[in-house]
Order: sequence, then structure tokens, then C-alpha cells
Amino acid sequence: MKNNKKILLEIKDLKTYFFTEEGVVKAVDGVDFKVYEGETLGIVGESGCGKSVTAFSIMRLLDYPGKTIGGEIIFKEKDILKKSETEMRHIRGKEIAMIFQEPMTALNPVLTIGFQISESLRMHFNLNKEEASKKAIKLLTKVGIPVPEQRVNEYPHQLSGGMRQRAMIAMALSCDPNLLIADEPTTALDVTIQAQILELMKSLLRDFNGSLIMITHDLGVIAEIADRIAVMYAGKIVEYADKKTIFKNPSHPYTFGLLTSIPRLDMEMKRLNVIPGIVPNPLHFPEGCKFNTRCKFATEKCREKEPDLTALTEEHLVRCWHVDKVIQEAKKIF
Amino acid sequence: MNRILKKLFSNVTSLVGIILLAFFIVIAVFAPVITPPLSDDHYQIPRMSWDVNPQPPGSPMSDNMKQAYEFMEKEVKWKKAICGTAEGGYDIFYGLIWGTRTAFKIGIITVTISMLIGIILGSISAYFGGWIDEVLMRITDIFLSFPFLVAAMVLTTVLGRGLDKVMIALISFGWMGYARLIRGSILSTKEETYVMAAKALGVNDTKIIWKHLLPNTIFPVMVQGSMNIGSMVIMAAALSFLGVGAPVGYADWGQMVSFARNWIIGSPGNAGQYWYAVFYPGIFIVLFVLSWNLIGDTLRDILDPRLRGEL
Repeated sequence: MKNNKKILLEIKDLKTYFFTEEGVVKAVDGVDFKVYEGETLGIVGESGCGKSVTAFSIMRLLDYPGKTIGGEIIFKEKDILKKSETEMRHIRGKEIAMIFQEPMTALNPVLTIGFQISESLRMHFNLNKEEASKKAIKLLTKVGIPVPEQRVNEYPHQLSGGMRQRAMIAMALSCDPNLLIADEPTTALDVTIQAQILELMKSLLRDFNGSLIMITHDLGVIAEIADRIAVMYAGKIVEYADKKTIFKNPSHPYTFGLLTSIPRLDMEMKRLNVIPGIVPNPLHFPEGCKFNTRCKFATEKCREKEPDLTALTEEHLVRCWHVDKVIQEAKKIF
Repeated sequence: MNRILKKLFSNVTSLVGIILLAFFIVIAVFAPVITPPLSDDHYQIPRMSWDVNPQPPGSPMSDNMKQAYEFMEKEVKWKKAICGTAEGGYDIFYGLIWGTRTAFKIGIITVTISMLIGIILGSISAYFGGWIDEVLMRITDIFLSFPFLVAAMVLTTVLGRGLDKVMIALISFGWMGYARLIRGSILSTKEETYVMAAKALGVNDTKIIWKHLLPNTIFPVMVQGSMNIGSMVIMAAALSFLGVGAPVGYADWGQMVSFARNWIIGSPGNAGQYWYAVFYPGIFIVLFVLSWNLIGDTLRDILDPRLRGEL
């Protein structure tokens, strides 16, 4: 597939390890992906596979014992990992912003919504209090909060979960960032609110010229919003392709397993598939392919040597020894 | 805020504390009206006579004292020692009234400054962690290893007499508790997602500490502070009692108890002869400290969400 879009963010061989007392946890171990301008990249994977750590590494927000020890994060043609803390502070919020998983805890309980939205505006654009507060009201209107003039002066506990997530989105969008990272923005909300928030994000994305990285474990969310998808497993990308390819031609057994484990309205499926086992303990990853303990295609080769991320087509990368078998199996179902 | 005030006034113990505190505030504010000063240094307790023995309540000013004040062209508005005089003819009533101002000064200034030092050091230490934390906390440990009263005594002895020196000594060895307290709460609060969210918005460290962390962590320190106002006053009184505090004749309750040291037990067969010399300053100290403790207790009940039953 041809792609002439400009690359906004490129991650090359990112390695973020946690140096704990029990040993080194390789939370992110050699992740590569690209985010094109104006596109949405979805990162999918189970809990603990390194999705959020990747996001925090991009923002450089990890504290001891977590440390990014290798790789490059190229944002607007410059390596973020080489920037100073002061330069980083100008990037955070202004050029890269983040939406957090739990709106309940991601808002400071003792500060008003208005203050928290206008804080970054005042930091990055030196606006005075009144201008910032006006902008905050505008943003709240944009994210669909009713009576914003009143809401700006309210505290987080006076807002419902959905409203808080809307306020979080307003905070993240306040400085018109080029890249927005949404770390499971809908996970903590109930289903009807999830739909509303997704709808809101989609409509905002149309006005918003930047790119979005959507981190989630919910394939439904990804199907709604993403252009391209990276599937992560145990700190590594196992499959990377555009949305259509992932949903129609999954070529990694993990992606295949994920797709067959959700109910789908567009397909006849007698029984939902289950991926046996759990994510291996990051302190003791298995030898060879990290998915081999749970994979139904696994052979002796998988247990000995880990496959590289290889290109099936220019835009479809897979990390598996048995791509052909998976594709065959997938063709029967999808 | 309204809720706090309502709670303060609805609780009996806190009400007692507030009434006592109000009583002391009125005394401190109206000190020049209640007892107009006789010397240029308003905190100097005037003498009613040259008697070594304490004189009982109601004894008049001696004639040669009156002449002395007339000679200095001072108008003597009160001619009787309402609460008696202490050793050396110092008027107890005057000392009580102006001593209230001294007590407020000592309590509020020492607690405010040591709280500030503690908050600044503690929050820097907790927020940045690493070697900064290590260095600051070891310094705190060194200061904590001195017994408070002994350290304060040595320092005032070195610095010399005077109320300001007492306060310097009390501040020097009084900030560590606050530093430890705020460090502990910031260590737990800084792991909250909203701190991470603020960082993700590019908020700088000073603002994160000041706007995001301190408002969430400062209440225990404030409670501690309000309770410490009382104990700081006791400490200052103790230093004065030991003779290293306020200068002789300075209106300070501790000093007045110190005046009474030789007269606590009266003459043979009349043990309570000089009761007034120790009773009045003593009861003032007790009530003052009690009022702050009661208020501090109620503040803790109000501000601690665990005791409030909301968590």
C-alpha cells in the first residue's frame, strides 16, 4: 500500500526496563512503530504487555525504577530522548498531550476544573487568568459539557465520570497538541458513556489536525477509531498493519486469537475462542518466541529462536515463524 | 470553610478552646487599655515597691515608688497590685496582661517560621527524592538527635538573653517534625495520577509542589502546628524559668513563674502564703496551652477524612 503521508512520530527499537529488586523487567523491549500526521494509531494488547509504558516513555514521564535504556523516539525529526528536561516540559502538554485512563484520579480533587484546564494554557502561552478562563469555557463547550460557565468553577467531585473524562479531554486539547496519546480513555467508564466519549473523540479528531495514539485492550474501540493498529505482546510489537488488514487478514497467532475471542455481528461463530494461559511473568519470559507457551501453532523452532518483525507487505509487519499457517487458518474464518 | 467554622462552634470542647482563645486575644489586643505601660519599654513589668517578699493581691504601690514615677513624669493610672506582686515588687497583673502578647508572639512566630522551613525542606526532599532526599533527611536526623530543651538552652545561652534569641533557638530545633510529616504525605501523594497528569501537561516542578501537592497534604501539618503553638509557649516559659530566656523584668509568664521559684512554699506554718506568685502566671500558661490544644484537636477531627468517616 502506498503512503505519502508525513511521519510525525517514529519509534525505533525502544527499550524501557524496570530495574526492580527481583530483577530487570523488560516492560518494553524493542518496539518500533510510526505515527503519520493526521492518523490514528491503535495500540492493542492485554494488561501488562507494555502499552502504557510505551506511552509514558514517549512523554518521558517514567521515574525510577523505570528507565528508557535504548532506542530512539523521533518526534518532528528530533529525538525526544536527547532533549533536556526543560525542553521536554515545553513539549509536554503543548506538542504531545495525554489522556489518562481514570478520570476519577487524574484530576486533582482540590483544584477547580477551570484551573486545571487553564493551567497548561497559562504555562505554555502566558495567557492571563481571564483569557485562560475564557478559553477553558470554550474548550468545555467543545467537549460537550453543559453550562460550562458554571462547571469551570466546580471541583472534580461535583462532576460525573463521563464529564470528568470530557474535562480531561479538554485539558489535553487545550494547547492544540500535534500528538495526543489516549491511554485507555474509555476503560473506566460504563458502556453508554464509553460510546459517547468515543463519539466525541471521533468528532474532535476531525477538527484536530494532529495525530492520535489510542491505547486500549478493547478491539471494538480500535475498530471505531484507528487507522493503523499495532498489536503488542510481552513488550514487543507482534503485528503492525492498517485496520482493514488486521481485521481481515490477521497473520500473527495472537492477533488471530484476540479476534476470534470477541463476539462479532458480521460473522457466524459457534463458539468464542479462548487464548489459553496468561501473559508470562515479565521476569521470566519463555525462551524463543514469547507467545510460544500459549500458541496453538507453536513448534520446536518457536521455543528456540525468537522471530524478527518481518514485512509481509510494505505496511504489514508480523513477528511469527508460521505466518502461512495462521493466514490459512484465518482465511477459513474471516 | 463554612463547614469548618460550623464544626468548630458546634463542638463543646472546641467551643471551650475558642472562648479561651478569644479571651486571650482580647487581653492581648487591649493590653495598653487594661494596664497602661509605665516605662518606655512596654514589656517591662513595672515595680510596685522594692520589697523582696511578694506582696499579696490588693497591696498598694509604695510611696517611694509613686514618687519615683512622679519624678519621671509618668501618670500612674492604677495604684494597687490587683494580683499581688512577685519577688522584687514586680506587678503580677501587668505581667499577665502583657505576657499574653509575648505568648502569642512566641507561639505564632516560631510555629509559622518553623512550619515554613519544614514544609519547604520536606516537600523538596520528598518530591525530588534521590540524593537530595538523602542529604536533607540526614540533616533533619542530626537536628532531631539533639534533645529539644537542652539544644534550645545551649543555643540561647550562646546567643544571649532576649525574646528574639529564644525564638531563634525554638525555630532552629522545632522544624524537623513538620519536615518529616510533609515528606511522608508528599511521598504518597506524588504517586497519584493527577500529579502525573499535571506533569504530562508540562507543569513545572515548583507549580506541581505548590498547587498540586501542598493543598492535598498540608492539613496534618496545620493541625500539628496549631497544637505546637501551645508547646512552644511552654518551651519558652521553661527557658525563661531556667534563666536563659527573656531578660529580667520582661513580661513573660515563664519568667514570672521563675520569680516565684523561692516562694512556692510559704513561711513555716503558712504554706500557701505566697500562692498568688505562682498561681496566676501558672494558670495563664495552662489555659493558653489548653486553648490551642483543644482547637488543634477539633481541627484534626474536621480535616482528617479518616476520622470524618468520608473514606
